[in-house]
Amino acid sequence: MPIHDVGYRPWNGEKTPQFSRWWVICETGIRLAAKSRWVRRILFVAWLPVMYWGVGFFFLEQALDADSQSLFSIVDSDDEVQLESVEDFKNEAQQLGRNAGRMEIRRLLGRRFSMFPHAEDLAKSLETGDPEIIRNDIWRWLLMVFFRYPQSLLILFLIGTVAPALISRDLRSRAFLLYFSRPIGKLEYMLGKLCIPAAFIMAVSTLPALALYLFAIVMSPSLSVFWSTWDIPLRIIGATIALVLPTSAIALMLSSLTQESRFANFSWFAVWALGHGAWLAILLATSMGMKKAPFHPDVLASTQVQNWSVLSLYNCLGDAQEFIFGFERFEDVWRGSLVLVCLTLFSIWILYRRISAPVSV
Amino acid sequence: MSLISLENIVKNYKTMRALDGIDLNIEPGVTGLLGPNGAGKSTLIKLLLGLVKLTSGSGTVLGQPLGSHGRRVRNLIGYMPEDDCYIPGMSGVEVVQFAACLSGLPKLEALRRAHEILDFCGMKQERYREIDTFSTGMRQKVKFASSIVHDPQFLILDEPTSGLDPEEREALLTRIRMMWTQLGKSVLISTHILPDVQAICDEVVILSRGKIRLCESLEKLNQTDAPSYQVRIDENESEFLSAMLQLGFAATTTEQKDLVFESDDPQFGEKTWQTALLTGTRIHSIAPVKNSLEGIFMATVEDATDAPEETNANS
Repeated sequence: MPIHDVGYRPWNGEKTPQFSRWWVICETGIRLAAKSRWVRRILFVAWLPVMYWGVGFFFLEQALDADSQSLFSIVDSDDEVQLESVEDFKNEAQQLGRNAGRMEIRRLLGRRFSMFPHAEDLAKSLETGDPEIIRNDIWRWLLMVFFRYPQSLLILFLIGTVAPALISRDLRSRAFLLYFSRPIGKLEYMLGKLCIPAAFIMAVSTLPALALYLFAIVMSPSLSVFWSTWDIPLRIIGATIALVLPTSAIALMLSSLTQESRFANFSWFAVWALGHGAWLAILLATSMGMKKAPFHPDVLASTQVQNWSVLSLYNCLGDAQEFIFGFERFEDVWRGSLVLVCLTLFSIWILYRRISAPVSV
Repeated sequence: MSLISLENIVKNYKTMRALDGIDLNIEPGVTGLLGPNGAGKSTLIKLLLGLVKLTSGSGTVLGQPLGSHGRRVRNLIGYMPEDDCYIPGMSGVEVVQFAACLSGLPKLEALRRAHEILDFCGMKQERYREIDTFSTGMRQKVKFASSIVHDPQFLILDEPTSGLDPEEREALLTRIRMMWTQLGKSVLISTHILPDVQAICDEVVILSRGKIRLCESLEKLNQTDAPSYQVRIDENESEFLSAMLQLGFAATTTEQKDLVFESDDPQFGEKTWQTALLTGTRIHSIAPVKNSLEGIFMATVEDATDAPEETNANS
C-alpha cells in the first residue's frame, strides 16, 4: 500500500533527446544479461588472461632493460676511467645489455611461443633494428595474440550466453510492441540490441587490452615510450570493431530467427564449430598429402589451406586482427575480410527484416 | 479538432485487403472499436500508431498526418497491446520504468513516475516481483500502467479487461472513464466485451471485413425507434394489464415476464404508479427500454457478412 497515493497526475517534465533512446535498450539489456550467473562467471574468467599478459609485459620490459642497467652500474662505479673511453664502454655495454635482453626474448619466442603466428619472424627481427621499433613490434604481437587466442574463445562463450535471448525473447513474449508502440524506430532498436553483445565483447577484449597497454607503459623505463607505441591503442580499437561488428550481427541475426533462444544458442556454436571443423578437415587432409604435421608452416602456407580458410569465421577474424595489428598485408587477408563484411551486411539485412516482420503483419 | 480523421484509407497485405476505403471521424471522448476477428481492428490501430504504411488514403491523428510522423504520433499516444508483451527477468516496476524511459523520461524520474502510476493502478508490493511470476490480471495492470506512464494525450487500449476478475474489471473501467472525464484524455478501446463498451464509451465504431459499418454515439444507438418502458411487477398482472389497456397503453411481454409499454406520453410514469395503487400491484422496476448493443453488433456484422466479398486487393 502506498503511504500517500496521489492518484493520477499529469507529467510535463523535459524529455531526453530522441537520439539517446537506443541507450535505454542497451543499458537495460546489459543489466538483464549481467543478472545471469554464467555471464558473471565468464566475465571473471575472461579477465584472468590479463594477469598472464601483465606478467609477460613485466618480464619483457625487465629483459629489455635489466642487462643494460647492470652493465651501467659497473661503468658508473669507475670514476677514474677516462671520459672518452667510458663513453665508448657505456655505449658498448648498452648494446651488450640490449643484445642480452633480446637474446632472452628471442629464445622465448623461438621455443615457447613458436606455435603462435609470426613468432619466428618476430624472433628474427630482434637480431637487428631500433629498440623502440622492437618494443612496438613485441607489444603489438602480444596484444594480437591476446585478442586472437584466449579472448576470442571466451568471447565465443560469452556471446553464446548473452546474445541468443536478446531478440528471440522479445519475439516470444511479443515485447517488440513495448518498443515500437513508443517513439522508437527499428534502427534504434537494432542499435540498442547490437550494443549489448558489443559491450560485453569490449569488456573482455578492449578494456583489458587497453589496461595491458597502460600497464606496459608504466613498466617501461620511460613514459616517452608512448611516442613509439601510440598506434597500439588505435589498433586495439580497430581490432575491437573488426571483432564486434560481425560477431554481434551474426549472433543477433540468429536470435531473430527463432522464438526459442536455445536454438539460437545452438546455431551460434554450430556456425563457429562447423566452419572451423570443415577447415581443420581440409588442413588434416592436406597435411596427410604433404606427409607433414597438420600445423607445420608449409601446410598452413599451402594454397588449398589458405583458400579454404574463409570457411572458418575464427580464421577470418584472426586474419583481420593480424592485418590490423600490422602482421599481415591486406593482399593476404582480403578474402577473410570480405567474408566478414558480407556476413555482417547479410546478418544486418536479415535482422532488419525479422524485426520489421512482426510489426507489419 | 477531430481526434482521428481518416479519408478513404486502404491497406493491403500483398493480395489481402485489410482496410477497404475507411472514412472515419472520431471526436475526443471514449470510443469503442468493435468488430469480429479479422475485421481489421489491429491493422487500424497499427496504422494509427504509424507502424504500418498506408496503401492509399490520408488522415490525421491528434492533428498529425498519418504515415510521415509516426514517432511524433507515438509520443502523444499510449498503447496497451492485447498480447502479454513483457520482458522476462524484469520486475513490474522496472517494466513500467523501462516503458517510461523509452518514451523519453529521464531514468530517475521514470522510476518515480512508475511508482506513482502503479499506485494509481492499485498495484501493491507485488510490483517488485519478476513479471514472469505475475498473474494475467497483474500483467494487465502493468500494461495499463506502461501505457499511461508518459502521460499521453490519447490512449489506445486493446482488450484492456481480458483476464481481469469482476472487481478489477470494474476498477479498470472506472480508471479508463476517469482518464476522459477528469483528465481529458481521449480513449479508443478495442474489445469484444460489449458490456465494457456499454459501460464507459461515448461512441461506437463497428468494423467488419475492412470497412466501417457503423460509427455512432452510444446514446443514439441506445434509443429505440419509439419510446418504450419496461415494467416489472410482482403480482396482479392481469388486473394491472387491463387497467393500463383502459388508459390506452398496450403491452407486450418479454421472455423474462417483464411488460413493455410503447408510449410517448410524458405522464406515463405517473399513470403507471396510479394504476398500480388502484389495482394493488407492487411495481418492482420501471426503466426506459434501450437497444441492446449486442443486437446492434450482431445485426451490423451479419449485414456485412451478407454483403458481397470486397476484400481482395486486386478487385
